[in-house]
Amino acid sequence: MYKYYQAPWGKKWLSHARESIIVPSRLATLTSHMDKLYEFDREPVSSDKLQSGGKFAGLFAGEHVAATEFVIGAFFVLHGVGARDLLLGLLFGNLLAVLSWTFICAPIAVRTRLTLYWYLKKIAGPGVTFIYNIANAFLYCILAGAMISVSATAIGLAFGIKVPALDAVLPTSVGWVVLTFVIGTAFTTVAVLGFEKLSRFAGVCSPWIFVVFIAGAVAMLPRLGVHPNLDNLWEVATTKIWNGVAVAGQEKLGFAHVLFFAWFCNLAMHVGLSDMALFRYAKKWTYGLFTAFGVYPGHLLAWICSGVMVAAIGRQMDPGRMAFEAAGLAGTFGLLLAGWTTANPTLYRAGLALQTVTPNWPRWKITLVAGAATTVLSCFPVFFLKLLDYVAIYGLVLMPIGAIVFAEHWIFPRLRIEPYMAEKRGWTFNGSALIVWLETLVICFFLPLHLYFRWLPGWFIALASYTVLMALRRKEGVR
Amino acid sequence: MKTRVPAVLSLTSLALCLVSPVLFFAGKINERTYRLAFLLTSIAWFVFAILWASAVRRNKEKP
Repeated sequence: MYKYYQAPWGKKWLSHARESIIVPSRLATLTSHMDKLYEFDREPVSSDKLQSGGKFAGLFAGEHVAATEFVIGAFFVLHGVGARDLLLGLLFGNLLAVLSWTFICAPIAVRTRLTLYWYLKKIAGPGVTFIYNIANAFLYCILAGAMISVSATAIGLAFGIKVPALDAVLPTSVGWVVLTFVIGTAFTTVAVLGFEKLSRFAGVCSPWIFVVFIAGAVAMLPRLGVHPNLDNLWEVATTKIWNGVAVAGQEKLGFAHVLFFAWFCNLAMHVGLSDMALFRYAKKWTYGLFTAFGVYPGHLLAWICSGVMVAAIGRQMDPGRMAFEAAGLAGTFGLLLAGWTTANPTLYRAGLALQTVTPNWPRWKITLVAGAATTVLSCFPVFFLKLLDYVAIYGLVLMPIGAIVFAEHWIFPRLRIEPYMAEKRGWTFNGSALIVWLETLVICFFLPLHLYFRWLPGWFIALASYTVLMALRRKEGVR
Repeated sequence: MKTRVPAVLSLTSLALCLVSPVLFFAGKINERTYRLAFLLTSIAWFVFAILWASAVRRNKEKP
């Protein structure tokens, strides 16, 4: 998954696009307030602020090791992924993700030097941008809630509170509710009180959390029967860890599922173009390749390590127990810190997005509301127990916006369709963008494909239908 | 100089964090020792890394 850090070269948090709708009179006010929030991103990045490739490599290197990594890698084991399928799937899936950043997101960012927020506003109008913002805020809250739940399993271990069963949807015990509530409240309080300090602390935690994964996996190898000379490592991997047998009640996943998961788990950032906020500082679009420094440690090594750990504790989805047994007290703290340092910026992002509907509220108040919503959501174990599906849905929901922007940026000039009609004609809503977004989601919902595969045809559907609709509007001269 | 010392110490602590599980895996130390060593080297990392980050920040803030 993805963490948002303060860019080493910026004074402010990089803004990932999100934004604005409602009725015109109120919307005008909201839009004006919303623009103020993103004021510092309004102008394209000037050439003197561009950053070197080394800084991008450093930034990405610490970004993809979050609390959810403890769960995702473990779920691949529970879903009966084979060892070869896992390795090849992660290798090529992450490669596709890196290429998506490099060939889709970075080139648009480097050409426009804008965040998605401002670029989308030109394309789809402030109304659609506003809806996008709200959708993003809601999705962020769920993600932060899942991170709180994962951290709760670490503390719950000390108090003997059982982790809900894999099929649990609702809270399973009063203890679980109290636990998630307490942790959610603590995370929210810290987010309200000292966001910037914690963001710096997160930078310190990140390399260590990665080490916790590696140390935990290495320390669990003897329990799985791996010899010190590693001569039976592959045999153990194929028979005791990724043995191709799903645990009861879990769907069997294979190579294609793993490949697509690794590709889409940051879909909103690459194909969805949220990372334009980062790449607008890049000297060249090829800096997209530096994302490999983040995804391969985080989405390959860390997932493999959590797979080893879950296999060693008898294939039970209990991240708290997994971390404790693998690395003792330090492991428990590692899990807690991983949840904390990733939930915090996610709460901040949700707050920033929600601030568009409550423009006069101070930051602390909106963070409090986002934190309260997140805390309530964290009580429901379904969000972390169905994390793989949630990640797929998260990317799917935001993906059509990326396709719309891609069409406007690359395809319209070639077909001589007028770009930025919303901006030029002062549209509050680009109806075509809104229709395409909703239509794509409806079609994806009914596509007879596994959830993991739906976004890809969905992207092409969004691309084609938006291009056709806007071409028709050009011909008809429709406003 | 003010940043170099905590930088070296923090990176050494991080490297030592990885040594204890390897020693445990190799059968050179028992589980209890591994966990304790990992905890102590982790604490060392946090102490030195925070000092390092603070020193870097102070350097940047200097006029």
